[in-house]
Amino acid sequence: MNTLTIGWLAGAFFLAFTTYLIPRFAKVFSFLVVIFSLGYGLALAAIKTPVSLRLLDNFGVSLLLDELTVFFVLTNALITLAVVLTTWETDRTPFFFAQLLTLHGSLNVAFAVTDWVSLYVALEVVAISAFLLITYSRQERVLWVGLRYLFVSNVAMLFYLVGAVLVYEAHHSFDFGGLRVAPPEAVALLLLGLLVKGGVFLLGFWLPMTHAEAEAPVSALLSGVVVKAALLPLLRCSLLMPEVESLVRGVGVATAVLGVVYALGERDVKRLLAWSTVSQVGFVLAAPAVGGFYALSHGLSKAALFLVAGRLPSRQLPQLRAQGVSWSLGLPWGLASLSMMGFPVLAGFGAKVLTMQQLWPWQTGLMSAAAVGTAVVYGHLLFVPWRWSGESPSSGLQGALAVLLGGLMLANGVDLDVFTGSEMGKALLTIALGWGLYWGVSRWWSLPLPHAGERLEHLLGMMSLGLVVLFWWVWAW
Amino acid sequence: MLLEACVFSTILLGFWGMLFKQNLLMKTIAMDVMSTGVVAYYVLAGGRKGLFTPIFQPGRAVDYADPVPQAVILTAIVIGLSIQALMLVAVMKLSRDYPTLEVRDMETKNMP
Repeated sequence: MNTLTIGWLAGAFFLAFTTYLIPRFAKVFSFLVVIFSLGYGLALAAIKTPVSLRLLDNFGVSLLLDELTVFFVLTNALITLAVVLTTWETDRTPFFFAQLLTLHGSLNVAFAVTDWVSLYVALEVVAISAFLLITYSRQERVLWVGLRYLFVSNVAMLFYLVGAVLVYEAHHSFDFGGLRVAPPEAVALLLLGLLVKGGVFLLGFWLPMTHAEAEAPVSALLSGVVVKAALLPLLRCSLLMPEVESLVRGVGVATAVLGVVYALGERDVKRLLAWSTVSQVGFVLAAPAVGGFYALSHGLSKAALFLVAGRLPSRQLPQLRAQGVSWSLGLPWGLASLSMMGFPVLAGFGAKVLTMQQLWPWQTGLMSAAAVGTAVVYGHLLFVPWRWSGESPSSGLQGALAVLLGGLMLANGVDLDVFTGSEMGKALLTIALGWGLYWGVSRWWSLPLPHAGERLEHLLGMMSLGLVVLFWWVWAW
Repeated sequence: MLLEACVFSTILLGFWGMLFKQNLLMKTIAMDVMSTGVVAYYVLAGGRKGLFTPIFQPGRAVDYADPVPQAVILTAIVIGLSIQALMLVAVMKLSRDYPTLEVRDMETKNMP
């Protein structure tokens, strides 16, 4: 298994660079890498024993692939597979596929490593390849959005680097475990970097514009897996240290509520989906032990929603309601929306039930409210009229949606114990309440919310405030 | 101690520049200043115990510098360089549409 792990991590990069030498095989290479990743993820899930590796002595790279990681590896493999299938018939250059492979590979590394410096390298490579994918069309608008993304993520990672060396000075290694003996400023700096990259709470205001303005397949990748590269380390740290756990749970709840509130104020489909990503990030963090399954179910349905959103006649909800969407797009769109709401028989249900069971008492009320809010938000997408005519989507997109929705069905097998009468009743009640609020209020009226927080200066300023708050929080432990 | 103060003021000045400079090119350069500060902090961390090059020779009992932070920061320097290069290319492309490169112009045009 160790050799296989190294081959899995290195293979993606090897083929990504080979793509530049043999551009003709770009699509084949990306397909092979993704299938290999999927197989590796499934094998990892089957053997059930964690793979733990330490390369190059005490200061080197440490890898850990446990049952939490499996979910992230599978999410990455399935979503990249869907993106490869969607873009197969398009005339995208080999450059796009090389970047796709680099992104896939570096995400795998980010999920596997458990030391601060390797994580830094992986996250920076993720940022670079994500930037190149966002700006693929070279339009002036996406260039600005990509540049803004790179600014925010790079500044966050510079703070993070200072934290990493402080951990090293205290612990003489870069392991995650060194956080326990690290001074408070180190913990604050590292957490700031991860919270910004993960799009958490007020530090995540960069996320909606970035995810909404990218092309549909790239948005699917960004929302589906890229944000999760910073969430897994947060989950790992919170499982290591109870103090971090209370912080992560706290910001998780705050993020879930904030994201839902902003999503309710949106009438642009892609921005609504992007704000919903912010809120779902909160759900992942709210219960760290089962966050992996939630990340998988959210990733699959969100990727499907973004892929469909790219083929819709308009991005504006009122216009979509007037025009209707063809049923062949509306069906996967509705299924993915139902999964996001936590409708039984789709993986979103199981994930939501497990998360809700793991909540601490004070979290329950707010998270239930956020779950109702999610049902309202996706009511907007679900209740778009269908047209029975209209062309069917390309076979590539059909394949991609089949992968994602099939994954959502199969992922139910993770935990079959959740299918009890009371849990199903609770889920249906939540959804019914959400739909009631949708038809009663939200369809006709939306709260105008300020968007000033999305300006670059405010994003950077929020980081300095976040650093101060985090520092005091850690100081008070 | 004085060195540490200088290093941190470099980091903070870089951050301050990113916040308060209106020109996109200046923001990019301010980010480079900030990353220079971070790199310097790693070098400083490596040199806390001693300054001699960490190459072992028999019979040479001196205070060696710690090679680990230096090795680590080398990777970060390369990453910083490539990000800087990418950002400058993007700034160059944007300068065709926004000749003054004022961030405010881009934001007013691209905000939701």
